[in-house]
Amino acid sequence: MIIATKKQLEELKEMLRGYSKVLNVGCGGCTAVCLAGGQREVEDLNTQLAISFKADHVTFEIDSFTVERQCEMHFLSALDEIVKPYDALLSMACGAGVQFLAERYPDKPTFPALNTVFVGVNRDIGWYEERCKSCGECVLAMTGGICPIAMCAKGLLNGPCGGPQDGHCEVNSEVSCAWIKIHERLKAQGRLENILKICPVREWQDQVQGTLVLEPYRERYSRK
Amino acid sequence: MVPLRESYTMPDHDRKPVDTDQIKALLHQKKRSMRLRLAACAGCTLCAESCFLFVSKGRDPRYMPSYKVLNSLGRLYRKKGKVSRAELEEMKDLLWKNCMLCERCYCPIGVDLPNMIAFARMILRSQGVYGVYPHSLGAPDGDGDETSDPRRQSDQGQGEAETNKAGSE
Repeated sequence: MIIATKKQLEELKEMLRGYSKVLNVGCGGCTAVCLAGGQREVEDLNTQLAISFKADHVTFEIDSFTVERQCEMHFLSALDEIVKPYDALLSMACGAGVQFLAERYPDKPTFPALNTVFVGVNRDIGWYEERCKSCGECVLAMTGGICPIAMCAKGLLNGPCGGPQDGHCEVNSEVSCAWIKIHERLKAQGRLENILKICPVREWQDQVQGTLVLEPYRERYSRK
Repeated sequence: MVPLRESYTMPDHDRKPVDTDQIKALLHQKKRSMRLRLAACAGCTLCAESCFLFVSKGRDPRYMPSYKVLNSLGRLYRKKGKVSRAELEEMKDLLWKNCMLCERCYCPIGVDLPNMIAFARMILRSQGVYGVYPHSLGAPDGDGDETSDPRRQSDQGQGEAETNKAGSE
């Protein structure tokens, strides 16, 4: 899932300064699961903002509404009537959700309340680890299910580099070398030949905006 | 600067009575389309086969999309919004724990089941009743194997957790 963290209160106050009536829109999807932007976090943040602005003697009113997912337009439609009286919107979704909300209500200044951090896994309570860079050219089949793009500090496709010491990365000695882990796993599985050949240069598709339309739906959307 | 963390408390919905007038007003907003959909459900149970949770939970009928809709939104309409907090809590399990809102449930006569579940969730949210992820309270929900991850019990794993947390901040 997508992992996000809350922005600092002072940063949010700076964004919202000048707007007296704001709607904070929560997201019931990934950011609710990673305890950053669900309904509970929306209420928590609203209370903090209201108290803080009040302490500054600034007129500020903030309300909340949580939609099931901000990355789906039909869930956002529930807001159509609700947003009308507000000067600005604050979104507690990931960056994609913020943009979809801003696209639906282009006349409303829309601000992000979170920093979207990575695509990761939920190891334990409040413990998330990055696992995928969404690069669009998955090599996990060759690397024993360990991603060198996400896990190697240098994103090497032909590793390891000359830097690892005692199985740890030269960039951060507390992090294991991804390529040594890949080597160990493939060796244990008897698949070392997977990484003996040189991996060719990639296209780095994640450098352009990604859009995915599944094959059975291509004709439907090409008509529009 | 006001010490924020010490000066506020989270809204405590549990102590508030259910605002049945608000529920009634929300139900009224989509009364026509929702009642039509509820009436259109023939109880054929074909939607059940399209729900991955129903299939993976041993075909437990409580995971059938139609069951979830009829016992949440249907119940709210039947009772004209006059429900207790305990009833809302029962619906919460149906709407959050028993449904991922993946929107893949299929109705052969075209009833938009995900839309109805989303609407029911919206009504519950208005009363401060919503799904709280079990891990956020530190309470395993029992469905997953919470002890199967070897890193959670190892010193090495804890070390890496701290590294990663610092990195993400």
